[in-house]
Amino acid sequence: MFNFVHKCRKKSPWIVHFDAGACNGCDIEVLACLTPVYDVERFGIINVGNPKHADVLVVTGTCNRRNARVLRNLYEQMPEPRAVVAVGACALSGGIFHECYNVLKGVDGILPVDVYVPGCAPRPEAIAEGVLMAMERVEQRSREPHSQMQAEPAEREERR
Amino acid sequence: MQFMDVASLIRSVSPGALIGILVLLPALSGLLVFAVRLNAARVGIVIVTAWVVTGASLTLFLWGALEQRSLLFTPPPVGGVSWDLLILLGDGALLLIFCILGAARRSPQIFALALLQAGGFLWLEAGMKPPHAHAAPLAADWLAIIMTLIVSIIGMIIATYALPYMRDHEAHHQIHVSRKPRFFLFLLLFLGAMNGLLLADNLLWLASFWELTTLCSFMLIRHDGTEEARRNADRALWMNLLGGVAMIAGILLLAARGEPLSVRQVLADSAGGAAAQTALLLPMACFCLAGFTKSAQMPFQSWLLGAMVAPTPVSALLHSSTMVKAGVYLIVRFAPAFHNTYLSDVVAFVGGFSFVAGALLAIGKTNAKAVLAYSTISNLGLIIACVGLNTPLAMTGAVMLIIFHSISKGMLFMATGVVEQHMQTRDIEEMQGLVNTMPLTTSLMVIGILSMLLPPFGVLIAKLVALEASVELPALLILLILGSTMTVVFWTKWTGRLLSSAPSTPRWGIERLHSMYLIPLLLLTSGAVIFSLLVVPVLTQLVIPAVTQYYEAIRPTAAQIPPMGEVLQFPWLPFALTLTAAVLIPLWIMRARRPQVRDVYLCGEQVSGLPTVTFRAAGEEKTELLISGYYFESWVGEETHRRWMTAVGVALCILLFGTASLWK
Amino acid sequence: MEVERILLALAALLFAPIVGGALTGADRKLTARMQKRIGPPLMQPFYDAVKLFSKQRLIVNGFQSVSVSVYLASMALSLVLLVLGMDLLVLLFVLALGSVALILGGFSVKSPYSQIGSQREVLQLLAYEPLLVLMVVAIYLKTGSFSASSVMSLRQPLIYSLPLFIVTMILVMAIKLHKSPMDISGSHHAHQELVRGIYTEFSGPQMGLIEIAHWYELVFLLGFIALFWHTNLLCGALLALGCYFAVIVIDNITARMTWRWMLRVTWLFGIGASLLNLFLLYGIAGR
Repeated sequence: MFNFVHKCRKKSPWIVHFDAGACNGCDIEVLACLTPVYDVERFGIINVGNPKHADVLVVTGTCNRRNARVLRNLYEQMPEPRAVVAVGACALSGGIFHECYNVLKGVDGILPVDVYVPGCAPRPEAIAEGVLMAMERVEQRSREPHSQMQAEPAEREERR
Repeated sequence: MQFMDVASLIRSVSPGALIGILVLLPALSGLLVFAVRLNAARVGIVIVTAWVVTGASLTLFLWGALEQRSLLFTPPPVGGVSWDLLILLGDGALLLIFCILGAARRSPQIFALALLQAGGFLWLEAGMKPPHAHAAPLAADWLAIIMTLIVSIIGMIIATYALPYMRDHEAHHQIHVSRKPRFFLFLLLFLGAMNGLLLADNLLWLASFWELTTLCSFMLIRHDGTEEARRNADRALWMNLLGGVAMIAGILLLAARGEPLSVRQVLADSAGGAAAQTALLLPMACFCLAGFTKSAQMPFQSWLLGAMVAPTPVSALLHSSTMVKAGVYLIVRFAPAFHNTYLSDVVAFVGGFSFVAGALLAIGKTNAKAVLAYSTISNLGLIIACVGLNTPLAMTGAVMLIIFHSISKGMLFMATGVVEQHMQTRDIEEMQGLVNTMPLTTSLMVIGILSMLLPPFGVLIAKLVALEASVELPALLILLILGSTMTVVFWTKWTGRLLSSAPSTPRWGIERLHSMYLIPLLLLTSGAVIFSLLVVPVLTQLVIPAVTQYYEAIRPTAAQIPPMGEVLQFPWLPFALTLTAAVLIPLWIMRARRPQVRDVYLCGEQVSGLPTVTFRAAGEEKTELLISGYYFESWVGEETHRRWMTAVGVALCILLFGTASLWK
Repeated sequence: MEVERILLALAALLFAPIVGGALTGADRKLTARMQKRIGPPLMQPFYDAVKLFSKQRLIVNGFQSVSVSVYLASMALSLVLLVLGMDLLVLLFVLALGSVALILGGFSVKSPYSQIGSQREVLQLLAYEPLLVLMVVAIYLKTGSFSASSVMSLRQPLIYSLPLFIVTMILVMAIKLHKSPMDISGSHHAHQELVRGIYTEFSGPQMGLIEIAHWYELVFLLGFIALFWHTNLLCGALLALGCYFAVIVIDNITARMTWRWMLRVTWLFGIGASLLNLFLLYGIAGR
């Protein structure tokens, strides 16, 4: 029974995409996933554009002090189980903006990231795979309830 | 054994005494309240009157149920003076008052109409020597008994509710010299007059009670004494006087044909063949016009809209049990006389048109009382459309609508009044999120609203009967279909405003209300619910016998009610229980396992932990979210439609007389 | 007899979501094919629903749960009433009850998206309700009774005499299933300005219940269409599926329109077509 539920979760990752101020390179690749060429709907992935319906938060771009709050707000509105996928160099580490005074050097300073999809910009195939892997990670996490990934983001922020 | 005792006890009660209590007691109590100006005495008198009148109407009801026959009653003369003469003098005094009012208010319409009516009256009495009605002047058949029951119970509940309301009303408006004695005088007199009107068989008595309700409504509408109240009261007066003139004209026409002035005999004569019926059409058209003015059908709708300036108990009374129902009752009463004529079709279209027009205009209103007023016009239109269809099935729908509409509408007005006293507003937009501040009142209000439009509530079932009956007249059917969907629109929008609220954990607390606010509200809400649950017995035991009884007496061939199997056999009770379960199960689950509450989605800019929905706007500024409803002003605004609607209404009234006099 | 009817009702309750879900899956697959995509597996709606039920329960206020529950109950009830051959007018009002419940659920949340969605859903109700009632009246004029079972006693299928009502039914379906160009109150895809309209604030298990209610609704609508060809079960099913296919095609070749346009089309064209059909049937041929 649980296996079936997990299977269903893996086969139906709905995403909400948050652009934290990217150059739009990654965003175009995210949108490319929806086109007939890549057609992520065949994996059950739907861009629902609403955290209340979403399972996966896909973040592109450099997180900064202004939009960290928005990101947290969105994450808070997503029902469990939920996952975060950081897409592109900027989301991973700040990318070429790493040294800027206002940049928070990656999404994982704010939210617990499950999957990092590197690239500038990553290929659509990579993004789709990242989303699918995120659901795997969720399943793993549910089997080991007190994993590292559950650590409070604020705490992790302090550690940095 | 016990039951037999009660039955024989009820049978032994003199029905005449009951009628006396129903008609005279409210009037006497009113005078008493006016004379004794003590607060406590007033509360006591009103409550005692309410109980006694309710008891009397229930006893009359049981009497009717046991005896299974109509009651005919001639009141004994008082001190050697016959009641005929007393009523005559009373009517003369009323017309005099109207003339004086017209002169005092410098209103040529009122003066002219009152004079016209007085002239007609004098001509009738002096010039014509009307054939003496041999029948008893008062008659109570099953229909009249049911109507009396509704009027007495709902009316008295509203009168009780008016006690705390008027106290708060005068406190808010800082009225130091209390005008409550006058208010309650006319309120109680109104109820007595209404009962008299329902039970009268003599047409002159009927006309006198009719005028008395006009006077009472005029006094109650202008009660607050503001310029607006006076203006609107004047309008209500002249429109209703127009109806009075139509009524006198109808009576004159009847007298000119040598008809006895008795409702029962006129109806019996109308069944005497096609020629006899045709001869009666013109007076019937007059009575219909009188009914239209009183129940605010389309060209005359403005007086009822204007009447909402009155204190809310008055509105509740005007809209639910008295006044507007008097107009409908008159048309219901005379319906068999114009059975199967073109006149009847025109009546149906007047009603159908008001049904659609009222519902359409209600969509554009933000004032709660205006929405309720248009909804009343709309529902009365539906009732009149049913009467115009003039089949027993349609009549059944009409009587059901009268019953259920009275209950729900009275309740809704009272709830609006409670909100008004607590929040000082009638605006639907300002009632946004009322469910958080006044959960109990709002819940009752929502039940009241839903009882107007959803199955398995009675109004909807009546509407079903009306729709099923109207397939006889396809053009009318279209009107009814459009009207009933528009009805859903404005009620749903209003309920949406009430429920619209900021995120909150489910709470179970309720606000405190004055018991004389709470008990009337609870009584009528539970009445709406219980009668809806018992819709099949209500239909088979009350409504259908009422319709068959009075139809049968007049048109035995037309009196067969089609089996109505589909409506009656529908499992309403299991259906209602399933829906109740669907409401209760999630509540129960929520109580057992509290879900987490989250803010609404505002693109991630929401601010948590505030009582209002707030977001960060430009410059990080915390901004409260403001939402208002759609009212489609440009589309359904009153101004956009007033002219052509009035024109259509007037045209229909002209057509009414055209068909009555020419197109037979 | 009584037992049989209960079993029939239970079967409808049990199998309708399965059929409805599968049809929704087919809809998504077909839509994908029309857009030259591969599309999700046929079972996708079931995966989605199970996932939604396995999610955390987040609400904005308590009334949402009540609204969803009443919505589901009335959708299921209307299907049961249809299967049992009850009064069609009652059935329409039960359907309306469900819509009103969902609308109130949308209204109960002070959110711009869900409120605008609800306002528009009210307008959708205003658009399709007259068409449905007219359809029932047309059936009455044919059979002399409002009960669905009376259709079964006709010798000729209704479609011979009421063909234009199939057209209005396609209009109704487009609105009720939130398909373009009538997906103005919320749709199965996210919109730019409305997110998911009336559904925006329902999440997790509540959304799952709404999905199941949609499946009941779909089966109900298809069953209603099948009434038009009751003599042959296969023809009835094909007619219903044909209408569904037409709705899917229209969904894929049109863009969303405004509510004003929707009201104009449904009231002028839809009611016009209904009246024309009735007129041709009774005005010319005589009753």
